[in-house]
Amino acid sequence: MRIVIAEDDPLLREGLALLLRAEGLDVVGTADTAEGALDAIDAHKPDVAILDVRMPPTHTDEGVRAAVEARRRNPDLAVLVLSAYVEQSFATELLTGGVGGLGYLLKERVGRVEEFLDALRRVATGGTAIDPEVVAQLFTRSHQDVRLERLSPREKDVLALMAEGLGNSAIAERLFVTDGAVHKHIRSIFAKLDLAPTDQVDRRVAAVLHYLEDARRRS
Amino acid sequence: MATADVKGLAVGTATTAAAALGQLVSGLGTAILTPFVLLWLVLAPGGVRVLHALAGMERVRLARWGPEVVAPAPPPVRLRAALGDPTTRRELLWLVRHLAVGLPLGLLGFVLPVLALRDAAFPLYWRLAPKDATATSIGIGVAHSWPDALAVCLLGVGWIAIILGLTPGLARLQANPGRRLLSAGPDADLSLRVAELTATRAAALDAHATELRRIERSLHDGTQNRIVTVTVLLGAARRMVARDPAGADELLERAQSAAEQALAELRTVSRSILPPVLADRGLAGALTGLAAESAVPCAVDVEMPRRCAASVEATAYFVVAEALTNIAKHSGASRATITVRAPGPRLLLRVTDDGRGGADEHTGSGLTGIRRRVAAHDGTLRLTSPPGGPTVVEVDLPCGV
Repeated sequence: MRIVIAEDDPLLREGLALLLRAEGLDVVGTADTAEGALDAIDAHKPDVAILDVRMPPTHTDEGVRAAVEARRRNPDLAVLVLSAYVEQSFATELLTGGVGGLGYLLKERVGRVEEFLDALRRVATGGTAIDPEVVAQLFTRSHQDVRLERLSPREKDVLALMAEGLGNSAIAERLFVTDGAVHKHIRSIFAKLDLAPTDQVDRRVAAVLHYLEDARRRS
Repeated sequence: MATADVKGLAVGTATTAAAALGQLVSGLGTAILTPFVLLWLVLAPGGVRVLHALAGMERVRLARWGPEVVAPAPPPVRLRAALGDPTTRRELLWLVRHLAVGLPLGLLGFVLPVLALRDAAFPLYWRLAPKDATATSIGIGVAHSWPDALAVCLLGVGWIAIILGLTPGLARLQANPGRRLLSAGPDADLSLRVAELTATRAAALDAHATELRRIERSLHDGTQNRIVTVTVLLGAARRMVARDPAGADELLERAQSAAEQALAELRTVSRSILPPVLADRGLAGALTGLAAESAVPCAVDVEMPRRCAASVEATAYFVVAEALTNIAKHSGASRATITVRAPGPRLLLRVTDDGRGGADEHTGSGLTGIRRRVAAHDGTLRLTSPPGGPTVVEVDLPCGV
């Protein structure tokens, strides 16, 4: 897997590169600004770009804007955005361009190497990785939605993991149940929320996120 | 009554009388101009403008000796409009009263201490005075003997008693017309004043928000990144510990030093919020402290009639700290000078050295951070450092108050 990293903090940038290289991944370029990231992506044509949200010069949302621009230029590029804190508007802005090959994670998730690598691989292969924190925020803010209340606690767990972008078997592994059980839960969730059932993970994530986002707006 | 009480009362009375005398004499300053302004109004064009100016001076003077006199909305300056304008009419009324009452009272405030001194000290010099000269300040009597001289001295003591007893009242009498006639009446339009206060309040809030943003940024982009780095390195080390213990140890070593950096940055951030020394000793004291710690001998020259906003003073403090660090590290200078001036609403800061010059802010990150901080306060930083020196750092900041 060929990776470009854009992160303005030199120590963290090196730490990330070190971690990925130790895992046998190919870090082909690094940058410390959004401009530099776009140049490196154009030059190296990586599979995944890992972008920090806040970079010079304004330290606000350069990374998000670079992610949107990079995906506009290279629709096949997978992008994983790392952020120091969860900002719903960043997530929404990223997700409007489609959730396939897209990740939005808190920076500290990188320390849980196994899960981080999972997320990275998922994103690189066209999947989705949404930070549990983002999903949790969507859940708490849309809890007044009556249809969500119809879900059983286990179904809510499954829904949250689905929103993070996990596939059936990954959800089964996290919850220590069988694939079949997960499949049953998901069918039940879609029925209770009046969503069209689908097995394709990215469309499923999109459906769930849009549902939660809508519920949040309404509440 | 205890002695301490008597002493306190005496000191209190004397201080009040001295302040009242000062006020009377300062009133003389505006009063002495009243006849000229009156003449100007009668004889020459543009007198209305001069009247407004004098009224403005009086408001400033009264604010110095008591509560602020809130000015009404600026009155018209054209004669015809001004004649129908209540503010101008009130100012005109004040002008006449200040001429009739304020001027004599002001003169009294000037003359009374002179009389008191002349008569009270008479026994000290009466023998040197020409024979048959009038002894008392009121123009009667000739002193021929010591008892006569002592009587004159007694008169001086009388003057002092008059000063102590009457001057506070006289000062009030002199100030009253101005306080009553020059302030905005109860029905006056204060919207301008409100707008002004709203603007200054907004500016203060804005400066506060800027400061919060700066702190948030240094926490998120500095300290938090360091700690994320620690977790990344720890995660990598955990993955490596089984297959490559030596490599894992190296990662742990890095993680530890990143954690130490995080701590150091946290310290810096908390200090940068407000150095304790600023609150304790003010900007002048804090800069003197910095200069004393500087490796290069450093002269400090601070002239600030009042304090600036705390965040502005903190910024000035950090500019100087950074400049002195750079001077000690790079300039090879033998001496440095810090100059601070605060004319009007701005704080001007200048740090110079006699070093070799050629400083480039892009080679070190310190000055860049300082520049960002200055810009956050809507100020400017200028660095001039030709090869061969001297290096001058100039900062211009809005005072924020």
